[in-house]
Order: sequence, then C-alpha cells, then structure tokens
Amino acid sequence: MGTLLQQTVNALSLGGVYALLALGLATVFSIVRLINFAHGEVMTIAGYGIWWALLLALPAPVAILAGVAVAVGAALAMERIAFRPMRGADVTTLLITSFAVSEIIKVLFQNGISARPVPIVLPAWLTSTIDLGAVRIGMISVVSIAAVVLALGAMALLLRRTPLGLAMRAAAEDFAVVRLMGIKANHVVALAFAISGALAGIAAVLWVAQRGSVDPLMGATPVLKAFIATVLGGLGSLGGAVLGGFVVGAVEVFLQGFLPEAALPYREAISLSIIIGLLVLRPDGLWPAANVSRS
Amino acid sequence: MNRLSVTGLRVRYGPIEAVRGLDLEVGPGEIVALLGANGAGKTSTLSAIAGLVPPSGGRILLDGEDVTGLPAEALARRGVGLVPEGRRVFASLTVAENLLLGGAVHAPPPERRARLRRMEDRFPVLGERRDQKAGLLSGGEQQMLAIARVLMAAPRLLLMDEPSLGLAPQMVERVFDLIAQLRSEGLTILLVEQNVPMSLDIANHGVVLANGRVSLRGTARDLLASDAVRGAYLAG
Amino acid sequence: MRRPDSGTLLLLSAALLAAPAAVAQEEYVIGVAAAQSGGLAPFDQPSFAGFQFCVDEMNAQGGIAGQHPIRLEVRDTRSDMAETVKFAQEFVDLGVNFVVGPADGDPTMAMGQITGPAGIPTMTFAGTAPILTQVSDYVFGSYPADNQQAAVLASYARELGYGSAWLLKSPDAAYTLIGPEYFGQAFQTLGGTVLGEGSYTMNQPEFSAIVTTIQALDPQPDVIVTWAWEPDFPAFIRALRDAGVTTPVMGADVLDTPTVRGLGDVVEGVVHTSGGYAEEGSAHADFNARYLAATGLAADTNYHVNGCDIVGMIDAAVRAAGSTDPSAVRDALADLPETQGIMSSYTFAGTDRMPLRSVVLARIEGGQKVFIRRGLADPAIIPAP
Repeated sequence: MGTLLQQTVNALSLGGVYALLALGLATVFSIVRLINFAHGEVMTIAGYGIWWALLLALPAPVAILAGVAVAVGAALAMERIAFRPMRGADVTTLLITSFAVSEIIKVLFQNGISARPVPIVLPAWLTSTIDLGAVRIGMISVVSIAAVVLALGAMALLLRRTPLGLAMRAAAEDFAVVRLMGIKANHVVALAFAISGALAGIAAVLWVAQRGSVDPLMGATPVLKAFIATVLGGLGSLGGAVLGGFVVGAVEVFLQGFLPEAALPYREAISLSIIIGLLVLRPDGLWPAANVSRS
Repeated sequence: MNRLSVTGLRVRYGPIEAVRGLDLEVGPGEIVALLGANGAGKTSTLSAIAGLVPPSGGRILLDGEDVTGLPAEALARRGVGLVPEGRRVFASLTVAENLLLGGAVHAPPPERRARLRRMEDRFPVLGERRDQKAGLLSGGEQQMLAIARVLMAAPRLLLMDEPSLGLAPQMVERVFDLIAQLRSEGLTILLVEQNVPMSLDIANHGVVLANGRVSLRGTARDLLASDAVRGAYLAG
Repeated sequence: MRRPDSGTLLLLSAALLAAPAAVAQEEYVIGVAAAQSGGLAPFDQPSFAGFQFCVDEMNAQGGIAGQHPIRLEVRDTRSDMAETVKFAQEFVDLGVNFVVGPADGDPTMAMGQITGPAGIPTMTFAGTAPILTQVSDYVFGSYPADNQQAAVLASYARELGYGSAWLLKSPDAAYTLIGPEYFGQAFQTLGGTVLGEGSYTMNQPEFSAIVTTIQALDPQPDVIVTWAWEPDFPAFIRALRDAGVTTPVMGADVLDTPTVRGLGDVVEGVVHTSGGYAEEGSAHADFNARYLAATGLAADTNYHVNGCDIVGMIDAAVRAAGSTDPSAVRDALADLPETQGIMSSYTFAGTDRMPLRSVVLARIEGGQKVFIRRGLADPAIIPAP
C-alpha cells in the first residue's frame, strides 16, 4: 500500500514534468504547426542558466528565476532567428529546421562548455524527506507536483482571462481569422514561444533538482517523451498534452515499479506498446483538439 | 472619393494567376456585388483587399491611402473587416469571447463591453447564448456571429464572402435584410455572392468576374436586366 | 681524370648507409575514431585529449620508437555506430598502421570486425567489457577490464562486512549490463548474496520508481552496486538519497569524474574503482602537471592519462617488434610483459589482450577522491568473460 502511494507520487512528479514540456510543444504546434524538437534544448539552456547563476554565487531562488528567464529568452530567440524566416513552410520543413536548431545547440554546449555533465547542487531543504507514517516522500517530488499544478493553473488563467490568451486559443483554431481581427501574428507567435520557454524553464528546474547535473543532451529524452505525450493526448490539443504527459509518466513509473524483474529490460517496449494500444483505440488522441485547422 | 479603389489587381498562387488586372471601385455607403462563377477570382480578390494574400500587381487605395501589400492585421486596424467564407467562427471559444476578440484591438475594454451589449441587443440569439461554445450554434447563428464579430471592430469597409452559403432559405433572407440594413446605417460593403438575384436586389452596383477579369459591370438594375447576366445566372 | 680519393669514397658510402635511415623516417599512421559529440563524448573527448597530448610529446622526441613520426587520421564518430563502422573501413582503405577506437566496448567491437580481418591492431580508448577482445585477435583493451574491477570491488565489499548486495543494470550497453553481473559473481564466490537487481534505460528521465522498489526490499541490502554512468548515476544517487535511503553505494571507474564528485552530500561515501590515482610525485601527477602547463586545462579524469598510456603501449609494441608491420606489432603487443605506464603498469602477456592493470579503490569524501588502495585483482575470483 505504501509502495503504491509512493509510486503514485513518483508518477505524478514525472508526469508533471512531461506535462509541462508537452504543453509547451502543443502551444507552439497549435499556432504555427511546428513540432519543435529544439524544445528540449530550451530546457538544456535553462539548466546551464541555473548552473551559471550558481557559479556566480547567486542565491538558489535567484538562480532558479534566472534559469526560467533564460529559457524564455532562448525560446524567443529561437523563434526570431530560426523559425520566423520559415513561417508558412510545411510541417516537414519546420520539423527539420527544429532538428537542425537542436543539433547546433547540443554541439555548441558540447564543444563550448563540456560534453560531460556539470554538477548542480540545490539547497538541502529541497532534498529532505517528508514522513507520512509508513510512507516517506521526497520533498522534491512534492515541490515538483506543486510547481506543476501552479504552472498549469497560471497557464489556464492566462488562456481564459486575458485578451492575448484569448487570441492564442483562437489562433490555435484559425490563425488567419485572428489576423483579420487586427491581432498581430508576430505577437501571438512570440507569446506562444515565450510560454513554451517558461514551461520548459520550470521543467528544467525540476529536472535539474532531481538529477543533480546538466549535460548537453539533457533535454533530448524528455522532449521525446513529451512529444509522445502530445501525440497521445491529441496533437494540437493543450488539454490533451497535459493529460498525455501524466499518462506517459504514470505508465513509465508503474511499469518500472511493478513489472517482474525478468521483464524490466523490456520496460520501454512495453510502455510504448501500451501507448500505441491507446492510440489504436483513440486514433485522434485521448483528448483531441476541438477543431481541425483549415488551410 | 471612393472608399475603396482597386486598379490592375493581380493575385498569383505559384503558376496560377487567379486575378488578372482587376479594376473595382466602391463608394462610401454603397453595396457593390462581386459576382461570377466558381474560380472566377472573387475570393482571391477579397483576400487581397483584406491582406491575407499579397497582390502580385496593381494598387489598392482605401479612402485614397495606398494600402497595397499591407498584412491583414494592419488592414484590419485601418478599418477593413472581412466576414470570411464558411463563417470561420472560433468553435472552442464562447460566443462572447468570439465577439470580444473581434473588438480586441479596436476599442478599449469599457467601449468593447458597450459594443458587446449592442451586438447582443441587435442579435438576441447571441445574447442568449453568450456563454455557449460557438461551435454549438446552428449555421445561421454562426453566420450572425461572424458578422457581429466583424461589426465589433466598427469597420469602414466590410468585405463579405458568400454570407448566404449553406444557409436555410429563411436564414438567407435574414442575412440579406441585415446587409441592406447595415448599408442604411452608412456601412460600405463589398459583397461576394453566388445568389445573384438577391445580391443585385440590394446592391447599388454589380461587377461580374470571369477568369480573373471583369467581364461586365454596371448598376445593379442594369445588370439585372442584362441578357448576359440573365443567361448566365438567372436562367430557368 | 682523377681517381676518386678515399675521402670521397668515405662520403659516398656514408651517404649510402644513410639511405636506409631515411626510409626508417617513414611516418607511423594511427587512425583515431572518437566522439566529439553525442553520448560517448564525455569519455572520448578526454581520452583523445590525453592521447593527442602524448602523441605531440612523442613526436617532439622523434616519434614512435624514436624514429617514426606519428601522423593521426582523426575522425569524429558523433557517437554514431554507423559512422564508427564507416571510419573503420576508411582506415583500412588508407592502410593505417594502428587504429584507436571509442571509449566503449560496443563500437570498438564493431570496428574490430572490420579492422581485425584486415590485420590492423585496434585498441579501445577505454572500453572495459572483457568480451570486447573476443571479436578479433587484433583487438586490444587499454583500461583495467570490468571483471578485474568487479573482483577488486567485491573483495573490498566483503572486507567491509557487506553480506548482501542489490545490483542496478542497464541492458543498453555491455558495460552497464555485465559490470554488475561480474560483481555479483565475484561477491557470491566470496560468500555474499545478491538480493535482486533493477534495470534502467540509459538517459532514463528519473529513478524515483526504482528507488521506491529499493525502499520496499525486505530484507534491505547491505550495498547497492551499479556500473551506471553520467547522467544516469547522478540522477539515481540523487533520487536515492532524496528519498532518504542511506544504503552504501558502490560503482565503477566511470564515477571517477569531477561531475560525480561535485554532486555534494548525496555522493558522500560512495566507493568506486578507478584506473589510477595521481599520488604526489608519481608519473601520473607529473603528467597532470605537464598537461595543465601545456594546455591550460586540468586533466581531470583518468581518461586523459589512459589516452597517454595508449601512446606508450603502441610505442612499447613497435619497439618490441622492431618493426612497424601491423602483424608484428600485434604479436608484440599481445606478448608485452609488465611494462611501466603512467597511470599504472600493464601486462598483456598471458591475457586475452585485456591488459592486467592494477585497480584503484577510492571513496568520495567532501567532494574529493580519497585513495583507499591500489592492487591487482585476485585471479581466483576474477569472473570469466
């Protein structure tokens, strides 16, 4: 029973990070039809931002804010430098552009800083544990889940309550008509990238806190998982991305925790099979986007 | 001065030229009906005037100001409103959100609220359904919403692309009544329609397109009487 | 016409004698395939840096065996197996004298399947899976093999009184899979028990599920052993300690990096094997000092010094063979008796081309690598490859 509760906390904690990343991917995709595989590198950049801030002996909360700010800046710069010139290109071209951006950033870090991970030590209170009777839960998991809930809540408020959020939701459905309303396309796109950057930055903080190091390839695996989550949730659906993230996290954690020892090496294969199975049952995803966009 | 003055407009999609040197004028407070068969270049013309596609040639003047090649958002801010073909309301947004978005950049929040109330008075069905998702409205209600959404911007030139398409007959009449009423309020309208008799019935002038060029133009009354229009659109 | 005088004849014969010496000035070509990017870059980059440094030093002294200037043909594998294999073929086509491959067993084996049949001796930068030499008679290891490391680590674990162990493995690399298994075998030979094992995927996002499994173990193990490397080991140890598990953790030579030592409290007390330790006044410390002076960078891993030792191994083999002929060099290298290296001495004679080298045991204390001892594995408990 205690183990089940602990694994549930683990699943929420991991799923939450995937949800943040998947939501960032989906936000950008819903507006510019770009599956941004360089999203993982935004996370990596945020990680190095935290590392750099700690090297400058800034206090941990400042370093964390710096990491998120760096991620927003990186996402905006990526949009301005790499993706804006490609605006209107087809999905494949955009996808390949994002791979190119991703590779360039990885190599810059590998050759500019180090191919090896750099250690990051966050405050001790983050690494303490909470005793709940028979169950001991890591503070970091709790903080992680709380941060995800806050970030998702803030995102929902932004989308529901602000004019720009309204424009973003509308743009996800029909970008051309949003422009006919006089709303500047560049502002909406930039906002989408800024939001995705902020979410990736928060994900990076949680990731780094749990892993203790940053390396040039840090973002690659999580962004792949987040991509799977967005497809599972329904490509282009923001709610679907969040749901997909939590499902992918739960599948991974529960398989890791409850598969018999002999089957453990096949965990990834089993986990992907479950996701493919879900997609066979629901080809448009668990929570499809409301409208298919018109061309 | 004409509200809209288009000279030598050309629109090209890759190798295909959809509009080939079109001249068009719309005076203030006028309805001009843009007619023609499918593929004649009507929607391309509207898209170019609204800034959704850049013209490959020609000039577009709005109240004498050259606005050729400006992007859609800039034209919208200058008072060009388009009711797009197929309505294209934001299905996952509520009715009120659709309307507020229509006035988002044109009016400060208090004024936007006031306009929203006026629209809800004018279109009671939208007031009743203000918190429903627009995707749940009927086709006719969505068309009303699409028109009300543009009116939120208080445009000086209203472009309408097939507003009666796919609507039930009595709804079609309501739409045409509304268009005529909007003119009587002083709005300038460029109307693209398949329904030639009803369009010419409310229009001041008509322009018939064929293969991207003007094949016929005149007052609505003359066109209604012309053999060419009767033969092509009013036969049977 | 005058008969040539004896002085002229003497000069002439001297010139003729000098000719073979000119031939002996022939360069020695080494094909190097190492990753400058990708997952192996953390190990290939420092290995290559140390290798390059000592190649330059040796060339300043005339080259291999003091007479063959070394020319390197360097290729970046980007950690891509297909690229690695392509470069192996390219090295064969170029007719290089020797090949040095990536710091992992799997790509080295892939290369060896091409360079071996072509008769070119091939050495891994730091692959430690002892099976890697089984692919061809021409393939050599350079670092103390996993089974030697495992035997030394298991002996120490038993000395500390640990009776039960839990192993964390990953099937994604021979190193991470077999290393803990060797430990388990040696540990059991010495009377210990293996309670169970866990499996992770390389670059796995998080380890909390595994940690929860460990917390649920009954009875709890005395020690957890893994061959995981970066960034998996940092993530694992972080999750383990964050969950309040204080069980001792032991690992392999991959933990000997400033990154792992920089992880703070969570790695306090972790015991790991290593290829070397730069005791004050040792050749190893001298190398580190020379490297720092020349490059301005710290040789902060053992891969640097091992890369340098590889240059020495090739040099010793060419000297012993008295020739640069690849087959003769292979035979000489395979029979190399104990030779003094910089990181440690090495013996190839009597092994299946994985050198017998001393293994260092170290403990991380206060972010520092604390030397425990250095020694050879007891042949009686070294698990068979």
